[in-house]
Amino acid sequence: MRRLGSVVSGTAAAVAALIVVPAAQAQDKYRPPVTELEDYVREPMPPGFGVQHTDVDGPVFVDAHGMTLYKWPLKDLRNGDTGDRKNKEPFCANVKYTENSGLMSPYPPGLVLPELDTRPTCEQVWHPVVAPEDAKDVGKWTTLKRYDGTKQWAHDGLPLYTSILDKKPGEVYGATARETANDAPALREPAAPKPNVPPAFNVKTVATGRLLVNHVGFSIYVWDKDGPNKSNCYNECLKDWTPVQAPQTAQAQGEWGIIERAPGIKQWTYRTRPVYIRVQDRRFRSMEGSDVPGWHNVYTQKDPDPPQGFTVQDARIGQVLADSTGKTIYVYNCADDALDQLYCDHPNAPQVYRMAICGGNDAARCLATFPYVIAPANAKTNNLIWGTMWIDPMTGKKAEANAKGALHIWTFRDRPIYTHSGDIKPGDTNADAWGEFNGYRNGFKAFWLRDDFLDNVS
Amino acid sequence: MKQSLKTKLIASSALAAICALAIGAGTAGAQSASDVPAVVKDGKIGYVLTHRYWAVYQTPEGKVECPKGYNDGPREQFKALFPEDGTKRTLLETQLMREGRQWFPTTSEEQFTFKDAGGKISYGMDLDGKVKDTDFTSPDGVKGIDNQMYRAMGCISNYRAPEGTIYHFENEYLRRYNTNRFMIELSGVDSLVNDDDVTINSYRGMDQLLTDATGANFIPGGTQRIDGRFGGYVRATWKAKIVDGVLISEPADVTIPASATFDTSAFQVFKGMRFQLKLTAERAEGVMAGYVDVAAFNHHLNTSWSTHHQSYGQLSAPSMYRALRRLADGYPDPKTGEMTAISSALLVKFTQVYIDHPPQATAANGSVVPQTVQTSRQ
Repeated sequence: MRRLGSVVSGTAAAVAALIVVPAAQAQDKYRPPVTELEDYVREPMPPGFGVQHTDVDGPVFVDAHGMTLYKWPLKDLRNGDTGDRKNKEPFCANVKYTENSGLMSPYPPGLVLPELDTRPTCEQVWHPVVAPEDAKDVGKWTTLKRYDGTKQWAHDGLPLYTSILDKKPGEVYGATARETANDAPALREPAAPKPNVPPAFNVKTVATGRLLVNHVGFSIYVWDKDGPNKSNCYNECLKDWTPVQAPQTAQAQGEWGIIERAPGIKQWTYRTRPVYIRVQDRRFRSMEGSDVPGWHNVYTQKDPDPPQGFTVQDARIGQVLADSTGKTIYVYNCADDALDQLYCDHPNAPQVYRMAICGGNDAARCLATFPYVIAPANAKTNNLIWGTMWIDPMTGKKAEANAKGALHIWTFRDRPIYTHSGDIKPGDTNADAWGEFNGYRNGFKAFWLRDDFLDNVS
Repeated sequence: MKQSLKTKLIASSALAAICALAIGAGTAGAQSASDVPAVVKDGKIGYVLTHRYWAVYQTPEGKVECPKGYNDGPREQFKALFPEDGTKRTLLETQLMREGRQWFPTTSEEQFTFKDAGGKISYGMDLDGKVKDTDFTSPDGVKGIDNQMYRAMGCISNYRAPEGTIYHFENEYLRRYNTNRFMIELSGVDSLVNDDDVTINSYRGMDQLLTDATGANFIPGGTQRIDGRFGGYVRATWKAKIVDGVLISEPADVTIPASATFDTSAFQVFKGMRFQLKLTAERAEGVMAGYVDVAAFNHHLNTSWSTHHQSYGQLSAPSMYRALRRLADGYPDPKTGEMTAISSALLVKFTQVYIDHPPQATAANGSVVPQTVQTSRQ
């Protein structure tokens, strides 16, 4: 059984010795335990705001306390839309919704939501980033008037919030930058500066890191047989790999350089390595090229490794994260169908959604069907994305440490992870897409590290 | 080779029509005098799946098979259970309760009457060599047709042509997503007309289908790479013969990738599956029939099509599950004797393709091990 170090692409090793460009504006109250950090485009911002590097979401904007900022872009759902409209009054307000909206339901709306006595309002979960009355616009940073006349900071027209789930700098538990499939809820997103890449490139968050792609979306690769700022890919090599050419007017900057591979033909380099796309890649964000010896995907920043003991397994469309016995790991996704789309995938939210899906509202069956992944008593991590918590398995809520009946479990993004009783052998992913809207609205998705067919979205 | 198969060829009128559409006069021209077209290289010819429809025999407006109309779906059942009478109901006791039933169905009684497809005629094959009261007769008069799946899905709009959501979209996604690329390769082929011993190997391909400019018609002569990295679960090997241009396979347990959209990755398992395919140098078209494990079918249904999508075609998964359990007719549980699988049939079309065998496809990493196919049991 392969351990995680052998996974996926080997890119970490490939780029391990490369240059780190310090992020001048980063507050860095937390430093992700990875070799390289992603560089980003500096922009003017109001006093107190900054940028924080994070484990899996790259650099994000933070407030004066270093807390991650989020936005909530309007999203079309099946039966309507919700979220914030650009340059309009923030929709997330002091309203306690009591009924579902029917925006993502085959059934009529108006059903009473669970645990109303403790249900928060939108702004109790997503704290508006309040601006002083005399706040001045700075670049893309503007203010919007809230329902109560106060001002709220906005970036690029979208109001900004912090999350009740984040307790310290570097935590991004409110939302992720990773893309999801169509029928996911109207999710929040970390507000983030643009990655510092030339216009021919982009960066996408995948399960293994911040993946460098070209402006269309195809993966960027590097080759071990190239030298620093020197391409050795000619003739036969060019049948399978296409150098990413730089325009004649392009300028080297930061981690990005330019070499002349032939008279008048310029090629981009990243962290001194010539970059290519793969001729046979047919899907965006592909990792197939990393199967070719010597070739690697490129990340602006790799994710921290999962804790010791986790493994990687080949499955029917790619590779999944698995526990020490090879059983596939699942994450649980949930946002309720109220207009404010509050999260329900965290132990401090109502558990009736998950219990319905994992056990037909039977807690014991739920636990048998989707067991938690038990963490050793002395389990530790060196990052913020992986962690542990004590959980009451019958309620699904957090428990006191060592409480009777409580389980000490692994978490990812401060949420429990699971295995599935229906997976018999390593590589089985039989609970992938288990739940409402294929596991995106209220259900389970396998922890895909790589898929060769579905664009490496979550 | 000794011919041991007892399967009866069902050249139904609908199937014959399907075959006739694509075979065409040009196909005959491609056949050489020795019955071995040029596309057969070293005794091998490959085909890639382009159409896969559950075989639902339909009469106009379903008047014969569905005289009481079609089944209700999630929305209709929800309305019957929870009428809009001003009662305030909770999400937990309504929607979440119903969603839980999707994943944990039971065979207990429910208040809804399930409408089985009736009539005497169905596509399919005689899978057990017997003629029973519950069997159908093919459109061409062959008796003993085992297709109890038709009884379960025949009066569900989702599965009916031409506008059933699953009927349409299963094939849309079969073509759109390479994860669903299913190929068979015939080897030991001496003739595409008569050959009493050929071998079938199944693989997952990795590439898009080759089409004409319309995008709707599939062209022979394309190339598909075998997915040697992650496609091992699709691999199987079994035997067949060719009789008067029809491939007749032995039964085999075969897995077909069959995911829908929305980043799903499902597959369908057929037990004791057999082909009857009209072969040409360009196409292979006909019927595949076998048994489908009921629990696996329900799992595939729910992990591929959400309740929302099932609602489009009045498909209630919990109700269908009850019907499948009731109608199951194969693979008895060794302990309880309860039937675990149901006879079924699909109308399929393949287009000739050159199958590229990369080195890694045969030198598999640990997880890619060619399947040994078990002889069918019923």
